[in-house]
Amino acid sequence: MKKLLHIALNELLLLRKDKMAVMWMIVLPLGMTFIGGLVFGAFGGGSEAVVIDLPVVDQDGGEMAAVVLDILSQTGNLNLETTYDEETARGLVADGKRAGTVVIPSGFGAAMISGQATALELIVTPGGQTAPLLEGMVRGVTSAFSNVQTTVEVAFREVQRATGSTDLDYDGIAGRAVATALERLHDPPVRAQVTTVGSEEEEFDVSGQIVPGYAVMFAMFSILSAAGGILEEKERGTFKRLFISPIPKWSLLGGKLVAQFLVGVGQIGLMFVFGALVFDMDVGHSPLGLLLITLATCWATTSLGILLVAVIRSRKQIHPITTLIILGSSAIGGAWFPLFLMPKAVQQVARITLVAWAMEGYNRLMILGGSLADVWANIGVLILYGLICFAIGLKLFRFKEA
Amino acid sequence: MALVEVENLSKTYGDVHAVDNVTFDIQQGEIFGLLGPNGAGKSTTINVLCTYTELTAGKVTVAGHSVTAEPEAVKRAVGVVPQDIALYPDLNAVENLRFFGRMYDVPKATLEGRIGDLLELVGLTEHARKRVEHYSGGMKRRLNLAVGLLSEPRFLMLDEPTVGVDPQSRNAIFENIQALNRQGLTALYTTHYMEEAELLCHRVAIMDEGRIIALDTPQHLIHTLGTGLIHLGVRDINEEMLRRLRALPQVKAVARRDDTLAFETVDAQGALLDIIGLFNETDTPMTSLEILEPNLESVFIQLTGKQLRD
Repeated sequence: MKKLLHIALNELLLLRKDKMAVMWMIVLPLGMTFIGGLVFGAFGGGSEAVVIDLPVVDQDGGEMAAVVLDILSQTGNLNLETTYDEETARGLVADGKRAGTVVIPSGFGAAMISGQATALELIVTPGGQTAPLLEGMVRGVTSAFSNVQTTVEVAFREVQRATGSTDLDYDGIAGRAVATALERLHDPPVRAQVTTVGSEEEEFDVSGQIVPGYAVMFAMFSILSAAGGILEEKERGTFKRLFISPIPKWSLLGGKLVAQFLVGVGQIGLMFVFGALVFDMDVGHSPLGLLLITLATCWATTSLGILLVAVIRSRKQIHPITTLIILGSSAIGGAWFPLFLMPKAVQQVARITLVAWAMEGYNRLMILGGSLADVWANIGVLILYGLICFAIGLKLFRFKEA
Repeated sequence: MALVEVENLSKTYGDVHAVDNVTFDIQQGEIFGLLGPNGAGKSTTINVLCTYTELTAGKVTVAGHSVTAEPEAVKRAVGVVPQDIALYPDLNAVENLRFFGRMYDVPKATLEGRIGDLLELVGLTEHARKRVEHYSGGMKRRLNLAVGLLSEPRFLMLDEPTVGVDPQSRNAIFENIQALNRQGLTALYTTHYMEEAELLCHRVAIMDEGRIIALDTPQHLIHTLGTGLIHLGVRDINEEMLRRLRALPQVKAVARRDDTLAFETVDAQGALLDIIGLFNETDTPMTSLEILEPNLESVFIQLTGKQLRD
């Protein structure tokens, strides 16, 4: 056991002295995670809604126009800009500086009261992705106003018919009715009541996907790279020197595997600390579950490394092969995008990768708020995966010449 | 008493007989040389003795332990200086020695002292804290030797320890080995440099194509050649001429290889005069003439018709 530990410590010492390796293991993963977090909006612990700057040209200036502005500002996705004239606003859209602009025409309010047809004009950039969104919002406003106008008109006619009077103050009554109706838009008497069941609704924390995804991927790179180092030692002759010294075989290989395992655990741990500090990442409610998933993942990866080294006996071959395995399994295993977003067939195939089982475990704990009980299967599969790879790898590994 | 006994050792890789029915022993306190060109089977022989390679047939014991039945005991008894520079380039000399010392169970209390002594022995004390990757080839070879000596082995195997080494480092390695031998170290030394074998070895086995073709002290091996070899290039020669050449008083033996006649002589100069006289008398043309000093290389050439080094 002492020799196993000395061999493991020697491996870690060699790693520490290899500045390029340290950069690959620490700087690159942290950098990539930071960039990934920026791109996918991991700062603040969740995705934020996109806000659209929308110039609104109010040529009417009346109460009805004010209601239009009020309704548009309530959507939460719009930042209304009311300082531009029509020509400037159209120019901003034509130049691509704004996705669209709304023009409230002069006489809008009077037409609304008198029951005449009118329109809100929406000018948008052709082919823009935001155009449908703006169109939907404006149509929502015009639809509400149309309903109000129709309702008032119908009600007034009924009042006239009922009273037989032709001398009613249409404008006054219509004005008050429209104003009341539009007030009710903010607090409608008939509404949709949405009830959620299950756990408390939380915002999706994208860092809970990015950080473990990159952590698993880069840990695989580190561990499998270290495994490739065994081939380098064989070529250099130090492995032979160790073999012909009085060291048990299990110590010789075990020491190297222990070092690789510790490197992987340390790297994942570092990434999680980074995620928590920089992105305020939510690590869920089960630290023990996170630890066990991490240990199981690193065990499975280390064992995969020994299997690959046993099968691929050339240093030149191992790097492209391990790169292919890591990138391929990361892509389909859910390290880059959540597994549930992929086609069913891909999700099934992904089950052969240790990445899929690891990421599912991390997602259950960190995104879905699960407990240790929810990830026992994942831990078990990863341990079994490692045992199978280790057993086959040990059987095929050549310590010496036959 | 023999520290190493090798009986009918064979090692084959498919159809290739890397070592073919080799037998020799190494006495306590002896430096035993294995001399031969690249591919002769020297490294394979060492690999079997140090338990890195399994033998195909035969029996090998080192310090009384069988390499097949008691490999761990053999590992404890031997030190190896491999042909490869088996060091960690990112570590310095002290770190390399400390790590390998732990692998050889050198007690913690004595390890640091041992490291200092070995660095002094091989002349690397001043460079002890430099990374090995910054060492010259000669310095690496010397450190390679130091690692092999860490466990104070009873039997040291050196596999071409001076390949690619500057003369200064080479001489330093020779001096180290001779000094250690005077203190009782038994060693197996493989090389394709005949001058190393002549200088260091008490006995030399000449190997070629997996077989030992001669085994004796360097002096006895050289003595078989008399005072020298003569190689004569000829275009056309008949049996009668060969008979007359063999009958010359200073000529011990004549071997014919293609268009060359190889003469073993009692006295090279005297024999040469007789040979030239006979060729003149019979008007037989010569195409080339070479006189080889009596040394192990000429013994090898005489036995195999090949050079030790291409």
